Amino acid sequence: MISFRQRYRQELLALSFLWPSLVILVALLVYPLAEVIRLSFYDSNLMTETWAGLANYRRLSGDPLFWQAFWQTVLFTFFSVAFHLVIGLALALLLNMRINSLFQSLARGMLIVPWLLAPTVAGMIWVLMLAPFGVINGMLNGLGLIDASTTISWLGDPSTALGSVTAMNVWRAFPFFMVMLLAGLQAVPRELYEAAEIDGASLYRQFWHITLPQLRGVITTIVLLDSIWTFRAFDPVFVMTGGGPAHASEVLPTVIYFDGFQKLDFGYASAQAVVMFVVLFVVSAFYMRRSMSTAG
Amino acid sequence: MRQRSLAGGLGMDQRRLLLNAMSYGLLILAIVIVSLPILWMLTVSVRPNLEVMKIPPSWIPAHFTLASYGKILTNPRYIVVFLNTIFISLFVTFLSLFLGALAAYALARFNFMGQRVVLMFLIITQMFPLILLCIPYFRVFVMLGLYDTRTSLIIVYLTFTLPFCILMLRSYFMNISPAMEEAAMVDGCTRMGAIFRILVPVSYPAFIGAGLYAFLLAWNEFLFAMVLVEAWENRVLTMAIYSLMAEFVTDWSGMMAFSMLASLPLVVAFILLQKFMVQGMTAGALTS
Repeated sequence: MISFRQRYRQELLALSFLWPSLVILVALLVYPLAEVIRLSFYDSNLMTETWAGLANYRRLSGDPLFWQAFWQTVLFTFFSVAFHLVIGLALALLLNMRINSLFQSLARGMLIVPWLLAPTVAGMIWVLMLAPFGVINGMLNGLGLIDASTTISWLGDPSTALGSVTAMNVWRAFPFFMVMLLAGLQAVPRELYEAAEIDGASLYRQFWHITLPQLRGVITTIVLLDSIWTFRAFDPVFVMTGGGPAHASEVLPTVIYFDGFQKLDFGYASAQAVVMFVVLFVVSAFYMRRSMSTAG
Repeated sequence: MRQRSLAGGLGMDQRRLLLNAMSYGLLILAIVIVSLPILWMLTVSVRPNLEVMKIPPSWIPAHFTLASYGKILTNPRYIVVFLNTIFISLFVTFLSLFLGALAAYALARFNFMGQRVVLMFLIITQMFPLILLCIPYFRVFVMLGLYDTRTSLIIVYLTFTLPFCILMLRSYFMNISPAMEEAAMVDGCTRMGAIFRILVPVSYPAFIGAGLYAFLLAWNEFLFAMVLVEAWENRVLTMAIYSLMAEFVTDWSGMMAFSMLASLPLVVAFILLQKFMVQGMTAGALTS
């Protein structure tokens, strides 16, 4: 017979190092999740709580604002991620050409700067640039694309508000893709390209048949991660438009914020947060399957 | 056959040259376009506010002035916000690195039941919508009397900095042979001593990379800072910038100077430590 201590030696040792982090993370993540799920079945403000059953969920399913915000979040996420990928890949390919290594690290450094800015700061700069008197209108004017008498209020017009916020978000977060894809490109074995060149494959064919397949793993991972991060992003929309005008740029985190912290309707806000969590969880499940097979 | 491949090789070289020239050109173009908003922030911050709304806007200020910077740097209200942000971000970073190192050590060095579950949990934590967490945090902190304190921000920032630090340090530790730590322990060093005297010093690139990233996340966070803190003396930079917009819609020059000052520490830190940061980004997100 071996004693409990000997038998579970590894477990006990590991636990003695893990427990502070585990206690903190369970308290900060598992407990709040349970609490939000519970709250979503209640009619609740700061003072009172009354059992509401599925009322919050029924209200949500018939709430046009919730669904508008939901689809706008999907659009915002889709276009942000798509442009992040295209721009990030293009710049990574350029940086990976046989260029001077000093210029390469200089260029990479300068292209990363937007990603270092707080979304709040980046949003503020764009609010200023997109204003009717702003430099974007000024430049379009200078290029002759709009005439001098028209001033477009990019963030004040329902048809351009969400697109403008997306543009800011594309600008701020593409460097993440660029850096990750550059690292991926640098890991592709040179011999593959040398062999292809001997076979006379064009650069175009090399890109489709060597580069893309070799990058597939990195691309899948960062697209999933970025989708999750963008889907839950609150700052860009809140800072730039507050969801307006007339909810034209409303996304899920902002409607949840307004219901929870402006109207103090915590029950309904929780129900919406739970639905959002379920969507994120489904996307995460794909990500999990990927990273667990590599992290193992 | 030989001849043709030789000629093809030469053509290849010329094409390479052309492609390289094109890469330089396109990269410079990309740098210019990407830097435009940052240059705009800079040029607006050094002009008098009257000039901001002039139509058409010009890139070069007609009057150069550092008055907006002076106004911010001499106002104690703003200095408090800077100090709060520095204090909170540093505290969160060191706490995440310390707790993260211990947890990462356990995950990298032991084979134990439930290891996969812990890993899975750590990866899932990065998927949580922060707005969901805001609701219970707000209610619990009000109950505990932690609402509107800097402590509350330090605690909640761990939700995203700690898992990241654990995962990144773990992947670095796994590439380091345990032989040195084992030898030190045979020589009578305690396990804690082996971790902090041997493993931590050799893993310094991972600590710098993870630390910088954690610092960046804490410095730039906005949602929790808005929901959990109310009084001005507890505010951080992101929240201060937002409320400045709400209060003085028209002082764009001051706002951009404030934004410059708020971004400068991160940009400087990044320029100095670019190598580690890039390593950190690459390793952290892939977690493999």
